[in-house]
Amino acid sequence: MATTDTRTNELAIEVRDLRKSYGEVDAVRGVSFEVSRGEVFCLLGPNGAGKTTIVEILEGYRTRTGGEARVLGMDPAPGHRNLRERVGMVLQQSGVQNDLTVAELIEMYGRYYSRRRPVDELIELVELGEKRNTRARDLSGGQLRRLDLALGLVGDPDLLFLDEPTTGFDPGARRQAWSTIRSLCDLGRTVFLTTHYMDEAQHLANRVAVMNAGQIIAIGRPEELGGRDLRPAAIRFTVPEAWSLGDVPDVPCEHRSLEGNRVLVVTREPVTAAQRITTWALEHDIDLGHFSVSQPTLEDIYLELTGSVQENDQTVQEVVR
Amino acid sequence: MSAVTAPSRTRDLGLIAWQIRYEQRAYWRNRGRGIFTFVFPLMFLVIFASLDKGAHIHSLRGIPYDDFFVPGILAYGIIATTYVNMAIGTAILRDQGVLKRMQGTPLPRWAYIAARIGSTLVIVLAMTVITLALGVAAYGVRIRASTLPGLIATLVLGTAAFTALGIGITRLIPNAEAAPVVVNLTILPLTFISSVWFPPTGMPKVLVDIAKFFPIRPLADGLQHAFNPLTTGAGFDGQDLWTLAIWTAVGIFLMLRFLRQPQGEAG
Repeated sequence: MATTDTRTNELAIEVRDLRKSYGEVDAVRGVSFEVSRGEVFCLLGPNGAGKTTIVEILEGYRTRTGGEARVLGMDPAPGHRNLRERVGMVLQQSGVQNDLTVAELIEMYGRYYSRRRPVDELIELVELGEKRNTRARDLSGGQLRRLDLALGLVGDPDLLFLDEPTTGFDPGARRQAWSTIRSLCDLGRTVFLTTHYMDEAQHLANRVAVMNAGQIIAIGRPEELGGRDLRPAAIRFTVPEAWSLGDVPDVPCEHRSLEGNRVLVVTREPVTAAQRITTWALEHDIDLGHFSVSQPTLEDIYLELTGSVQENDQTVQEVVR
Repeated sequence: MSAVTAPSRTRDLGLIAWQIRYEQRAYWRNRGRGIFTFVFPLMFLVIFASLDKGAHIHSLRGIPYDDFFVPGILAYGIIATTYVNMAIGTAILRDQGVLKRMQGTPLPRWAYIAARIGSTLVIVLAMTVITLALGVAAYGVRIRASTLPGLIATLVLGTAAFTALGIGITRLIPNAEAAPVVVNLTILPLTFISSVWFPPTGMPKVLVDIAKFFPIRPLADGLQHAFNPLTTGAGFDGQDLWTLAIWTAVGIFLMLRFLRQPQGEAG
């Protein structure tokens, strides 16, 4: 019994065989994962994969059809007030009282929580200082999203849900939001993030779960996802016209190919292979154009993982909308 | 983890008062929705009263037209500030996702609705005071101590019924754009047959009977009864009050059903 308690305390979220059906359609089909305290966990997947359904079950907005879910040790389904005291939410779409100003809104929402962060600190954090006395209806989309973040943080939550928090941000604003989110984790807060931006997952998440058609198809650290770290690297370069593969030196590799004048070498020993190719080129004074060595990106892995089940997706997406 | 203080009743009441302040601020700042619903009935009062200056109503034993019309406008004002405001306002808040956001905070849902009702009551009170002040000052209407109990009972029940119905009807409003249509569809036809603006002179009996069944007629009639200079007694109209009480119950039932439906779950 004691061991179970310790374990529960270490986990911010625990989900086992979670299911959700909308009529005939199964939007979430048996999903299991755990999120530790202080972790940034990212749910990655195409639109309609079931990300928002899972988040909204954990937030208490939707009821599950089956399985188990624990958030900060509590069942999220009844929407306990004690749970809401400790959880912050940035929903995909949710408005504010448009006739109130930024400062008034942060102040108003803050009062609902028994623990709260100061208004000025939050305004500074989301960089809305110049807009503090502007009514919400006069804010731009990006500013509203930053206000959303401030309102999600106003109760100084232990766990923050971020449902596609930077959709519609320009690159600069996204970097700012990322650094804000990362600073939260430094304070020991847990962040549960959903996104369809690969770079966002890469930058922020300690662990990523890739979803497709209501299921988790891969889970792990971004650099290890789908065996990414174990995949062979690709060496690419161009050779002079009318060369054949036989003119290129033999290197340890999985396979190699020549298309036009572009050579591709797929190898598990990229350092050795690259060294041999470049030495050979220098010795023979050959100009290797566009020389590059690359590991598969998170995006390559993601597309590979989600590509196969793309067709089932459409129906789920339509029903959930 | 720092401890989260246990919620207490006192704290919740404080939260309601806090929320009423912000609801009020938002209401009076919105010129489109707030002030115009408020100005509308008063505008009618001035226009209609000047059209029929000094007229008397023969079918009501010759009482001054103003004694009939001022309470009629008051009834209309109450409906506009409670039912119309509440229904359209709630539909907009729901569409914008504000209700959903509020549900995710520790503010209990009942406390939020209580604050919105509280804020509505402040508006109703302001509307009542201004209409009656104008009626007394400009149109010679008299508030009599003898009929005050009937006046207050009708005001309280009418406000309760239309506030609750305003929240309850939101379930039948599919989206914010449809809100004014649904609201007008439920209000306008009844207003015309409920003798709010004009005495029921020459109106077919069947229409009068239909109107009596719905809450607008009892509210207008109850107030007109209390202001009628010929009324004797405490100004109570038993049938009007009963009808309003039943509609209050219906409204509260619908309101509770709306309250129980979570935001976010489809359907």
